[in-house]
Amino acid sequence: MTEEAILQGCLKNESAAQRELYNRYSPKMLAVCYRFAHNREDAEDMLQEGFIKVFSQIHTFQNKGAFEGWIRRIIVHTCINNLKKNKRFNESLDIVHAHGVQVREESVPSIVQAKQVVECIRLLPIGYRTVLNLYAIEGYSHKEIADMLDIEESTSRSQYTRAKQMLEDILIKKKILPKPREKSEWLVAIR
Amino acid sequence: MKESNFYSDEFEQLIREKTEQYKMYPSEKVWKGVHGSLHTKRKWFIGSMALLVGGILFFAGRELIAPSAHPVLATKGLAASDSGAALSRLALPAVTHRHPALAALHTPNNTTPAARRYNSSDAPIDDEDNQSPKGITITLSNLVISQPDLPEILSHAVALPDHAPAIPVIAARTTIPAGGGTADAVAARLTRSTSEPEQHNTAAETTDDITAQSVLESLSARTEKQTRNRRDLAHIRSGNSSLAKGRLADSASVATKASATAIAESGDRARINWLHDYALYTLAVSQRQSRTYFQLTLSPTVNYRSLSGGDYGLSKYSGPANLVHTGDAQRYVDHSPALGFQVGGSILYRVTRNLSIKGGLQFNFSRYTIKAYATNDPQPATITLSSYYGYVMDSLTAYTRMGNFGGRTQETFSNDYYQLSAPVGFELRVLGNERLQFNIGATIQPSYLLNTNAYMLSSDYQSYLKAPTLFRRWNINGGVEAFMTYKLNGVTLQAGPEFRYQLLSTYTNQYPITENLKGFGFKLGIVKELP
Repeated sequence: MTEEAILQGCLKNESAAQRELYNRYSPKMLAVCYRFAHNREDAEDMLQEGFIKVFSQIHTFQNKGAFEGWIRRIIVHTCINNLKKNKRFNESLDIVHAHGVQVREESVPSIVQAKQVVECIRLLPIGYRTVLNLYAIEGYSHKEIADMLDIEESTSRSQYTRAKQMLEDILIKKKILPKPREKSEWLVAIR
Repeated sequence: MKESNFYSDEFEQLIREKTEQYKMYPSEKVWKGVHGSLHTKRKWFIGSMALLVGGILFFAGRELIAPSAHPVLATKGLAASDSGAALSRLALPAVTHRHPALAALHTPNNTTPAARRYNSSDAPIDDEDNQSPKGITITLSNLVISQPDLPEILSHAVALPDHAPAIPVIAARTTIPAGGGTADAVAARLTRSTSEPEQHNTAAETTDDITAQSVLESLSARTEKQTRNRRDLAHIRSGNSSLAKGRLADSASVATKASATAIAESGDRARINWLHDYALYTLAVSQRQSRTYFQLTLSPTVNYRSLSGGDYGLSKYSGPANLVHTGDAQRYVDHSPALGFQVGGSILYRVTRNLSIKGGLQFNFSRYTIKAYATNDPQPATITLSSYYGYVMDSLTAYTRMGNFGGRTQETFSNDYYQLSAPVGFELRVLGNERLQFNIGATIQPSYLLNTNAYMLSSDYQSYLKAPTLFRRWNINGGVEAFMTYKLNGVTLQAGPEFRYQLLSTYTNQYPITENLKGFGFKLGIVKELP
């Protein structure tokens, strides 16, 4: 079924088209949710709520951009709205100096796998993680992030800088990233 | 969206690439949740509507469209169909000769057991233990025709005579000595009874104002007298043979007396038939009225809403200062009333003569229209959510093409609401008689909102967006009404204005704007007594 046919079917509220769209995009979108959520259960709840919004607002989609990008924006907004309901999340956004994350050093360098990177990102404090996800992966600007999270733009920038530093440390400890002097060689090597 | 130096950072690029490769497969319950949320509402809606419409059709068919199915009226029809055959079998009593039209009503089916017993002329006269009535009892408990149907019945038949058949004044003749007296005395009484028909005829011409009560009294007295006569005759036949032999010469006289008795009995039967008909068709039947009624209502309504709250203010607005809108949301929307309807069924219970309480099920379709502006591209719109304690703690963003103040084209859309309610309330008769009345009523209506796809205003009043999670599913409505009722052919028609107001906001407390729906309607109702 083509994307156009799926879209038309969803506009008519046809179950088959909705299922097809869900099957096509839910694995990627669950991974997105998983990066924001505390655990898999929360991620699935976010995914469910996000897809309900996708189907109920599908009439607002216009064929000017990528359909996947449109779905992704809705999913990300759903994740953010869910996180903002959590008091701990709101407090974490105000943390300037997060405590260091205890990471066990790997004796043998691991093969760089997507799952490992994602799990390392999930080790970050939730405020750092959210800003990093939004900026580095989802591609939002610091101004957009500030609007979304109701924080100052400068806060977003500083949170990201710290998040990036912390993630690098984690990846180095996990032997996923080489030490700084080997960094450029390593980046070439893994490509 | 993306800052220009994003891809310049190889670390970020690496993170992005690796996370993009990662996929997770959700469990099946996620899809079930999505599918259930998208389609269950429709099933519930269709199911509820089917149930409601089916119930209405069932009751309408049973009570209004096919009244012949009603057990009372079915019996009435049966009686009417049997009347022809019965008429040919029936020996019409004298009263029907005097009023031939009454013959149509003299059928076995519409006579009481007592009347039928008297009409059966083939009963043996000497079987006195079985045939002697202990007293005349005319019961109305098995009436096959209800009082409201009487005009219809009588329109097909004829009016009853205004007066009872001729009744002799027999009070003086009812005092009979205990033990029957001697044979001479019996003979004397029998002789005297032969002259009674003439007295009857005389009395018939003079007793015009005879009442049903007097008929009953006279029949009772005559019955007692006939019992005693039969006993006397049996005594004459069996017991006293010597006296019988001595009186053989008078046998012709006895036969004449027996004939006179038969004539008198025939007259009695006529009077009983008249009494039966009088009780059946003329007397006001003290029929026990049911206290429960079924009510169907349909109301075309004009719906509107009240908006309040939502003073967004400058503090949260990041756009140009000249586009800031502060104050009550009501000032910044262009909305108009629209037509809807309300349909429902209730069971009424009559507590007193003037007061009834009721409970039922009701479906409301309410809507109003909004003028907005459509844009080419979906724009983000944000709703600032309030906590239960009043301070802002959250927001919700969605994309929408509906702007409130400007856009590519002007569009008018309607916000539709489907509600199922269970109204509980009362109706009170204020003025009027049994036929025409003026009533007032009020209900409180726990309601469930079936759809959550209406547009709502963003916090800065700039856009309309859909946020299903912010709708309050359970709500409470109040309704007041004033209406006239008119009783017609066993049903009561109702008509009058009504007003319905939604007591809680359409939205949850998180949404800073409060919307209360209200509807003005004209109620059309029909009420039928339940058996």
